[in-house]
Amino acid sequence: MIVHVENLVKRYGELTAVDHLSMDVRQGEIFGLLGPNGSGKTTAINCILSLLKYDKGIIEIFDKPMTPYAYDIKKDIGIVMQNVAVFEELTVYENIDYFCGLYIKDKVQKEAYVKEAIDFVGLGDFIKFYPKKLSGGLLRRLNIACGIAHKPKLIILDEPTVAVDPQSRNKILEGIVALNRQGATIIYTSHYMEEVEQICSRIMILDKGRIIAEGTKEELKNMISLSEKISVEVFGLSEAHVKEIGLLPNITSVTYQNHTLDIKSHKGKNNLENVLDYIRKNGINFGTIYSEKPTLNDVFLEITGKELRD
Amino acid sequence: MFIHIFKYRFKSLIRNKSMIFWTMIFPLLLATFFSLAFSGLNEHERFKTINIGIINDVNYQSDIAFQELIQSLSQEKEPMFAAFLMNESEAKEKLVSNTIDGFINVGSPMILTVHQSGFNQSVIKLFLDQYSQTYSAIINIIEDDMTLVHGLVTSLEEGTVYTKAFQLSKANPDNTLMYFYALIAMSCLYGSFFGLREVIDIQADQSPHAARVNLSPVHKLKAFIYSGTSSVLIHTAELMVLLVYLHFGLGIDFGHQYGFVVFTTFLGSVVGITMGAFIGVAVKGGEGIKSAICIGVSMLGSFLGGMMYGDMKYIIDQNVPIVGKLNPINVLADAFYALYYYDDYERYSINVVNLIVFIFIFSIITYRIIRREKYASI
Repeated sequence: MIVHVENLVKRYGELTAVDHLSMDVRQGEIFGLLGPNGSGKTTAINCILSLLKYDKGIIEIFDKPMTPYAYDIKKDIGIVMQNVAVFEELTVYENIDYFCGLYIKDKVQKEAYVKEAIDFVGLGDFIKFYPKKLSGGLLRRLNIACGIAHKPKLIILDEPTVAVDPQSRNKILEGIVALNRQGATIIYTSHYMEEVEQICSRIMILDKGRIIAEGTKEELKNMISLSEKISVEVFGLSEAHVKEIGLLPNITSVTYQNHTLDIKSHKGKNNLENVLDYIRKNGINFGTIYSEKPTLNDVFLEITGKELRD
Repeated sequence: MFIHIFKYRFKSLIRNKSMIFWTMIFPLLLATFFSLAFSGLNEHERFKTINIGIINDVNYQSDIAFQELIQSLSQEKEPMFAAFLMNESEAKEKLVSNTIDGFINVGSPMILTVHQSGFNQSVIKLFLDQYSQTYSAIINIIEDDMTLVHGLVTSLEEGTVYTKAFQLSKANPDNTLMYFYALIAMSCLYGSFFGLREVIDIQADQSPHAARVNLSPVHKLKAFIYSGTSSVLIHTAELMVLLVYLHFGLGIDFGHQYGFVVFTTFLGSVVGITMGAFIGVAVKGGEGIKSAICIGVSMLGSFLGGMMYGDMKYIIDQNVPIVGKLNPINVLADAFYALYYYDDYERYSINVVNLIVFIFIFSIITYRIIRREKYASI
């Protein structure tokens, strides 16, 4: 096991930030920690890294107990902080070289690693730039380069795409997948469900410091009763029609707003077909129609009763 | 690893324009300002030749002894008097226009006419009183016993000295030096900005890059010491620039014990840096609050050490000496003062020990807090 956490508890006075968290991260996977802001993701990561004192729990990395003095463990970990952690007075190259040099003593090897990291995040044209001259996206890429230049076996990325433009976000996500393909095990925390869904092989959803669900994205979606969401553009739909649609098989809820009919249904065959049949039989005019599978937000919504981005 | 951390720390600090301004440029500007402000102060306090008028009449022409005395007092390198012969109406005119401080009508008694009272007028009066008394004493002795004339002449020629002057130091007294010494001491304490920066960049609960350094396989205290070394080097170099500018640019005298002056400055730098580190670990709050405390401590210490008001140091030393001993700026300024004025090292040594105690206390507290490897919150 790359990371083993058992019954981790971290309290700030009355507030329990991490509440009996247990998790195992296996070699070669991208493990996603998903949860809204304040759900305890970063606190859990800081405890795992032995930065924060915790009240209870067992933490092992590479099958060894993690402590602040576990330098043999630390040398194989790369961390990309939520806040950009670079020196303002050092250039892009110098920042990467500085952090890489804390891990790699061999000068030639270090130089090669730094160049590789610069190419990897696509900052080749900016090596002499100071961080304050970089855009938000480029700064995030620098932040990543500083964390991964020494080629760690375990990379922890804590909300690395916050305040990043879509282009840089895609670049970062592609990079994470590439790092994983190169052999690194990755823990990825985010409150963006699309990102977690896109790259993570296994996902743990946290809320108020507690685990509310864990598994692959398919396993998570199978946990909830919602199977399908159907949206139909309809004009002049009466309340009676809305009520009758709600009585169709497997339909759990129907809302009609701004000429859009939103239908949620349980698992079952022919849900879309049943709805279309009703519309046709009653001579209702409709425009676009589409259906979608439930998202992780739906999983979160069904379990906690609130939106993931609350 | 030392070279790696030291090199990048050095680059990082030397490029921090704000820090370099406050720790080097600002003291240089302040020193220049002090120099301009104090340029006339010593000149004002120095004794200047007193211009006197002597009424050139029959009495003066017949008093050969007085003529010779006035002549001799007017011929020295820095003469006591510059005597000008003139008639009475001319003398009155010059007296009113302050060209002369007084004029003398030679006779018995001597008559001194002044336009106003003051230091120069008192000197002329004392001189005339002494002359008149000596003159009448000689006349009385000669009138009583002519045989004593020989002995009297010998005694006057020998000019027996009844008071022995003991010079405490070879240094010239200069009231403005304390201001410059306090300025150097203040600059030393501005090293607290370096110390504060070091703590912020090593304590994971104070900056994200410090958290990243904490997660690297480098011992935290070693990283702190390696990086702190570059702070000491840069700040000491800045202070050396200040010393060179003060000495060669502004002509500030540090006495002749340059080695000790440099050593004291180095100690001052370490006191400042360790104090900043101490503030960094001991004070809760953001970087802004900690920086404000560093500035506040330096400013208050400078005020109590006499940088803004020269007599303050004396007032503190007389009334609450413990405050003076607890004020690093006062102790540092006093160490420079002791090196300049005293030929022995007693007072200087006490100050040096005091500075070392400061360094020890600040370092121990900083060490005890920094060695903690885990944080309650980040």
